[in-house]
Amino acid sequence: MPETPFAPLKRAVVGLNGGPTDARVVKLGCQLAKPLKAELIALHIVEVDWSHDLEEDIASDNVIASTVLDLAERIGEKMGQPIRTELLQARDVGAALVDEAAELEADVMIIGLPYRKKFGGDFAIGRTVPYVLQNAACQVIVVREPIGARDSGPAADQLVGSVRRAGSPA
Amino acid sequence: MIGGRRPLQGRKPGDKRVRVERKHAEYFRYDEEGVLVAKPKAHEEHSAVGRTIAAVRRAFFGAPLSSEADLEQRLDKKKALAIFSSDAISSSAYATEEILRVLVLAGAAAMLLSIQVAMAIAALLFVVAISYRQVCFAYPTGGGSYSVAGRNFGRIASLVAASALIIDYVLTVAVSTSSAVEQIVSAVPGLKTESIVIGVAAIALITLGNLRGLRESGSIFALPTYLFLGSALLMIGMGVYRILVEGGGVPVEQRFTGVPSAVETVGVLLLLKAFAGGSVALTGTEAIATGVNAFKPPESRNAANTLMVMAALLAILFIGITFLAVNYGIFHVDGGATVIAQVSARIYGDGSLGFYAFQLFTALLLFLAANTSFNAFPRLVAILGQDGFMPRQFSFRGDRLSFTMGIVLLGILAASLVILFGGVTHALIPLYSVGVFLDFTISQSGMVRHWLRERGRGWQYRITINTVGAVLTGIVLVVVTFAKAPQSLLVLLLIPLLVGIMLFIRREYDDQADELAVRPEQVIGPPHRRERVILPVPGITRAVVQAVNFGRSLSDDVRAVHVTDDAEAGARLRKDWERQIPGVPLVIVESPFRALVQPFLTYLDVMVPPEEDTITIVVLPEYVARHWWERLLYNQTANRMREALVGRPDTVVANVPYRREKP
Repeated sequence: MPETPFAPLKRAVVGLNGGPTDARVVKLGCQLAKPLKAELIALHIVEVDWSHDLEEDIASDNVIASTVLDLAERIGEKMGQPIRTELLQARDVGAALVDEAAELEADVMIIGLPYRKKFGGDFAIGRTVPYVLQNAACQVIVVREPIGARDSGPAADQLVGSVRRAGSPA
Repeated sequence: MIGGRRPLQGRKPGDKRVRVERKHAEYFRYDEEGVLVAKPKAHEEHSAVGRTIAAVRRAFFGAPLSSEADLEQRLDKKKALAIFSSDAISSSAYATEEILRVLVLAGAAAMLLSIQVAMAIAALLFVVAISYRQVCFAYPTGGGSYSVAGRNFGRIASLVAASALIIDYVLTVAVSTSSAVEQIVSAVPGLKTESIVIGVAAIALITLGNLRGLRESGSIFALPTYLFLGSALLMIGMGVYRILVEGGGVPVEQRFTGVPSAVETVGVLLLLKAFAGGSVALTGTEAIATGVNAFKPPESRNAANTLMVMAALLAILFIGITFLAVNYGIFHVDGGATVIAQVSARIYGDGSLGFYAFQLFTALLLFLAANTSFNAFPRLVAILGQDGFMPRQFSFRGDRLSFTMGIVLLGILAASLVILFGGVTHALIPLYSVGVFLDFTISQSGMVRHWLRERGRGWQYRITINTVGAVLTGIVLVVVTFAKAPQSLLVLLLIPLLVGIMLFIRREYDDQADELAVRPEQVIGPPHRRERVILPVPGITRAVVQAVNFGRSLSDDVRAVHVTDDAEAGARLRKDWERQIPGVPLVIVESPFRALVQPFLTYLDVMVPPEEDTITIVVLPEYVARHWWERLLYNQTANRMREALVGRPDTVVANVPYRREKP
């Protein structure tokens, strides 16, 4: 069996935010899952604000949400790792990721963290990543976007060739 | 609940989530907004018969490959050398024999000149290879002399070059296969009566291999090419060592003792004929330049380097085999073993394992040499298809990314030639060389024009090479044409015929494009023509009612037409019609001669003739068959009407299918 710090790994979950880290996160997921023949599941959560009912169908016709998962599938195909995709609606992305990973009995969760700064220059980590780190039952890997990656061109896309995307939600 | 799924409760009371069903995900993938990419599931057949056919296709040709896999199907240099050079290298198996066949007419003394003739041909090969090397860089998209002639001389010259290439590729398959069978027969004479069957079966197998896709065919064909190269080079090395070092060759005075008495004197004409015969060694040199885009990047450099390696190997083999044949006093005998078989028998020992292995490798290489054409011919006709000189189907890639139509056509043409010429290599060769040298001459002349126009770095050096090549190959073309007449003249007739066909196809496509073209500045307004609907009806059925409703949604001018040979039944139908479908006039056309379709068509022509400002929509009620055999039972009249109405001016035929609700 190939050497990996995550063995035994049966199921890995990648959380996608539609941002610049998605391609890196999926690629890392493929690299971990493929040699161990583990199942890889890509999750994308559409956050529903309190002005809508949670059960209201917001995401099924949302092309941007679908594109996020389809992009992951395509990267998986290129890397020879099948990826199951799941689209969810939830009030809170972090909670949905943690709960879904627990239900799927995932051994590891990989999530991306875009490199952003708050007004004033402090690094902005957001609230999803800390929540997941604090609550997820499984191992968690956070892939932070390299500093200056966006200035130096579409580095994430270069990882997987010419991957086109409709757009990324903020 | 979304898509039949209820909210899932999280660990904390407020943490609910809902899984969203993505209906498209199984069949399509979004590439960007508004662009859906079909997944394999979307290509699956829906009917049981379709699924069975697809399964059989997969078993024979392999699972379909996506277009993205195209780059992965590119060839590296080692594999490309095996695929593209098997034609050129394999010609060393019969080129020496073609020289000896001519020189034998002048007796034993003339046979000694074979080496000089072979060296002259090798020099020509060197010039041609250097010239084509430049083609690889100047025209990296492939197409070889077709591209070169097209850019530099225009349409007719490019089509002449393409026609010559087409003939060349078809003959490559036929000649290589026939020669391979002769090598087998040389080792196992008992198979002589089965020559044609073996040849046709081999062509069928190579066709199948190519239909499975380029990469797989490359793997199949790489090994035998290298086995032949290894064993042939070993044979030449052993032979040269024995002759030069051990002095093991047959003394000059004892060579060619069995050669019949001279019937011709050694003169320029005889030497030219021998040169023309041996120049068949050059066939296949152009294949790499035609298939540059099959190489892995950097395509041009890889193709050019592969071409030079191939030329060097071919020259060594050709001169080496001729040298051994002359030094061992080997010559062609009608109905006997081939010259190369005799050489290998002398070196490896007649009946030895080495002899049989070499014969097997030679035969395999010759079979596989045909594969050069199976790579190049479909690409050429695909380019011609894209340019509108061949039916466009030739440019469509099949499930396995191979140009299916071109491969199948080549297989059929080559197998037909093998059958027609009884599988005799020598009978096919006169047709072979003319097209090849015509192609060389056009290509190199085109390159001269190219350098004159471009005048890039080192153009004087390059133009010199191509000029020398053009002149030399032009001279050889004239020599080959006259030396191999009258058979060679057939090619000169065939080329204008092919050019004419290609021009005809292009004119048809051009006419169609002119007719269908929409001016870019034109803004399409709302329809300005009136519609009228005609419904041929057999009676009042649910299918008819559905068709009537559809007709009414298209126009207010709807009329039904019932053709019958039973006036009373017609009257009954009218009565029911007026009661059940009011507002839609019914015309009864009585047909005393019982025909149904023709009276309806005549009614259309006479009573509702085509008008420029009116579109006549003939709505045909149709019953949807659930099983293949039901198609025989239903809709026969509707099918005949549809066929008869296709092409009628200002008329549209619409089928309104009625699906049976009962299982």
